[in-house]
Amino acid sequence: MSEITATNKRARRKAEGRYGKVGKALNELDDRLGVAKGGRTFMDKIFPDHWSFMLGEIVLYSFVILMVTGVFLTFYFIPSSAIVTYHGAYLPLDGQKVTQAFSSTVNISFAVRGGLLMRQMHHWACDIFVGAMVVHMARVFFTGAFRKPRELNWNIGVTLLTLAITNGFLGYSLPDDLVSGTGIRIAYSIVLSIPFVGTYLAFFIFGGNFPGTSTIPRFYILHCLIVPLIIIGLVGAHLFLLVRQKHTQFPGEGRTEKNVVGSPMFPVFMAKTTGFLFIVGGFTALLSAFAQINPIWQFGPYDASRISYAVQPDWYMGFLDGALRIWPSWSFHSFGHTIPFEVLVPALILPGIIFTLAAAWPIIERLYTKDNEIHHLLDRPSDRPKRTAAGVSVLAFVTMLFIASSTDVIANFFHISLNTVLWLMRVTTILVPIIVYPITYKICKEMQAVHGAGKRKTPNIVSRTVEGEYVATPTPAYQDDRGHDLEATAVPTFIEVEPEEPNEGGVRTVDR
Amino acid sequence: MGLTTPLMKRLARTIVAGMFVAAPGALFVGAAHAANYNPTETSRRNAGTPNSSIVVKNKSGTVIEYGNQYITYSAPSPKLDGLGEALFMENCASCHGTQADGVPANGTTGAYPDLVGLGPATIDFWVVSGRMPSANPRAIEASRRLPRLTPNQALAIAAWVNSLAPSIPLVPTPHLANANVSDGAALFALNCASCHTIEGDGDALASSTFSPSLRNIPAFQVVEAIRTGPANMPRFTGNLSDQQVLDVTKYVTTEIQHPNNPGGFGLGGLGPVAEGFVGLLLGVGVLVLVCYWIGERS
Repeated sequence: MSEITATNKRARRKAEGRYGKVGKALNELDDRLGVAKGGRTFMDKIFPDHWSFMLGEIVLYSFVILMVTGVFLTFYFIPSSAIVTYHGAYLPLDGQKVTQAFSSTVNISFAVRGGLLMRQMHHWACDIFVGAMVVHMARVFFTGAFRKPRELNWNIGVTLLTLAITNGFLGYSLPDDLVSGTGIRIAYSIVLSIPFVGTYLAFFIFGGNFPGTSTIPRFYILHCLIVPLIIIGLVGAHLFLLVRQKHTQFPGEGRTEKNVVGSPMFPVFMAKTTGFLFIVGGFTALLSAFAQINPIWQFGPYDASRISYAVQPDWYMGFLDGALRIWPSWSFHSFGHTIPFEVLVPALILPGIIFTLAAAWPIIERLYTKDNEIHHLLDRPSDRPKRTAAGVSVLAFVTMLFIASSTDVIANFFHISLNTVLWLMRVTTILVPIIVYPITYKICKEMQAVHGAGKRKTPNIVSRTVEGEYVATPTPAYQDDRGHDLEATAVPTFIEVEPEEPNEGGVRTVDR
Repeated sequence: MGLTTPLMKRLARTIVAGMFVAAPGALFVGAAHAANYNPTETSRRNAGTPNSSIVVKNKSGTVIEYGNQYITYSAPSPKLDGLGEALFMENCASCHGTQADGVPANGTTGAYPDLVGLGPATIDFWVVSGRMPSANPRAIEASRRLPRLTPNQALAIAAWVNSLAPSIPLVPTPHLANANVSDGAALFALNCASCHTIEGDGDALASSTFSPSLRNIPAFQVVEAIRTGPANMPRFTGNLSDQQVLDVTKYVTTEIQHPNNPGGFGLGGLGPVAEGFVGLLLGVGVLVLVCYWIGERS
C-alpha cells in the first residue's frame, strides 16, 4: 500500500516538473505576462555585500511601517477644528471644549483597541525614518557615492529628506494639542517673516489668520495624500535609478569600475532584506510598546491664549528651533515696514543655505576636483580628507544647532543660568565646526599613513601544548579584508530556456 | 576706456563697501527705533480680602480664620509665638534682622526682604518647603532642598512674625474632595504651564531663575505658592477664586504627581528632546547594529 503511494507521489512530482507547483505557477504566469525574462534579470541582480549598503533599507522599511500604521490612524482620526465637548475615557479632560481633531486623537489613545500602540509606532517610525535617512545620506556622502553618474539620485535623496521633514511636521501638527498648536503658531510666524509677501503667503497657506479652522483639514490632506504620493514617486525613482545604474562597491580584490561583485538578488539578498523588514517592524513595535512618545492627553487641547514652557519640536526640526533660539534679536523697523531678521535668517535662510549646499555638493566637488569621470568604486572616507572634513564640519554645525534647541533643558539639568547656556551655544555653534575640520583632516591623513588602518584585527588562537607551552597563532584575515571568492553564485533556474525560433525569409524575430 | 574702467571699478567698490556699512547701519537704526518702544507698564496689586463665607475673629478683632467650603485659611496658634521667636533668632535673624524687618545687625538695608506684614502663609511656605534658611543667601534665587525645620517649627516662625503685624494670607487647608480636576487642567494650562511646563516638571527661566518641579509638593504648599507668589512667581489673588485655586491644586496633586499615563516609560517628561535622543541613539542605533549583523553575513 505504502509502496503504491510512494510511487504515485513520485509520478506526480515528475509530472509537475523540476520546480514543483511554484515553478508550474510561474510558468503559467510567464505564458500570459512574459515575466520570465525580466524576473530572471531582476533575480540575477547583483548587490555588493557591505553592511553600510543596507542603511537605506531602514528608511524604506520604516516608511512601510509609517504607511501601514498611518492607514490605521486615518480610520479613527477626524481632521476637523470643530469644537466639541470631550466626554471620554480620560477623565481630567472631561467636559473641556476641544477640537474634534484633538478629541479623536485622545480617543485613538484611550478608546480604540491597539490605537495607542499604532500612534506610538507611527511616531517612533517617523523619528527612525528621518534619522536613518540622515545616516544613509552620510554614508553616501562620505564614500563619494554621489559622484557621476549618481548626482541625480543624490538630489532625489536630498528632496526626499526635505519632504520627510515637512511631512513629519505636518503630521506632528494634526492632533491639535497644546504643543503642536504652538508649532503651527511658529510656522505661521516664519511664513509671516518673509519680506513683502509674508502676510499674503501665510493667508494663502493657512487659509486665513491664525488660529484658523482650515489649518487642520489642509494639513491632513497634505500629510496623508499629497506629500506621501510625492515621496512614493521619488522613492520609486530612487530605487529605479539604483537598479539601473547598479550599486556602487568598495574597492577590493577583483572589483573594478566595470564589474559588480556581490550576492544575487535571489536568494541571498532577498533573504537578508526580508528578514531585515521584519526586524525593523518588530523593533519599532517593541520601542512603541515600552517607550512613551507624545502624550498629548497631558498637554491638553490647543488654545491660542495658552502656552507651555519648554516646548520643542520633533528632533528633525530641532536644528531650526535651535537656530531660532540662539539667533540675536536683530530686526529692521523703518519706513513703515518690519523685517524680522531674527526669524527670517535662522528659520528660512539658514536651512535654505544648508539644503542648497547639500543639493549642489556634487557640482561643487566636480568644479573643485575637475574630475568628470564615471565612478562606481567608492572612496574610503580617509582617502578624501577634505570632503570628509567638510562633511563632518557641516554635520557638527547642524548637531550644535540641534543641541541648542534644548538650552532650557541643559540649564535646568546643570542648574546654571539660561543666559549663560545661550551664549555658550552661540559661541560653540560657530567654534565647533571650525575646530572639527582640521581635526578630521588630520585623522584622515593619519589613517592614510598607518599601514592596514581600517582593517579589522583578527583574534589569535592561544593553545597549550602537551608540555605546557602556550602558543599564539593568528587566524586568517576576514573574508572582506582579503578579497572575495569571485565564483558567481548559482541562481536557481525556474524557467527552462526555450530554443530561439529560426529566421524565415525576411521575417525578423525579436525577443520580447 | 582706460579712464572709465578703473572709475567704474572704483564706483562698484564704493557701492559694495557702502552696502556693507549701510546694511548693519539700517539694522541698528531699526533696533534703536524698536528700543524706544515702551510696552504698557502693568502693576499688580493685592486684590484685597478674599471672598469668604466663613470669617472668625479673635477677642481683639483680628481675623484668625476665613475661607469657604474649598479652602480655609487659619492663623497659627499664638501659643507658638515663644517658640517661633527663639527659632527666628536662631535661624533667620542673621539676615532678616531681629525685628524681621530685613535689616541685619550690621545695618545693611535693601539686601534682605522685610518680612513684616507678608502674612503667615508666605513665611510658612518658604520655611516648610526647605527654601529657608537659605544655603546661599547671595544666590539670585533660594533653591529648594530638604527642609531644615519641621512643619510645626515653620508654623511657629510664621506665628511670631505674624504677631508683629497681623496680616493675610493665613495658612491654607484645601478641601480637595470639593475640587473639579477637569477645570483644574484647563486653569493649569492657562496660568501655570507657561513656566512650570505643561507636565509640571519645571525648567530654567532667564538669568539663573528656575521654575521648580511640581512632582512632589503637598497640596497646602501649592495653595500657599499660588496665593503668596514666592520669588519670581506672580501672586494670584483676585484673578483666581478659592474654587479655582482648589481645582488647580487637585490637578497638580493628582494628574501631575500621579498621572494616568499609558504608553510605556515617560522618558522623564523632557518631551521631544528625550524622544529625539531615544529615537536616534536607541532606534536608529540598534537598527544600524542589526544592519551590521546582517550585512556582514555573506
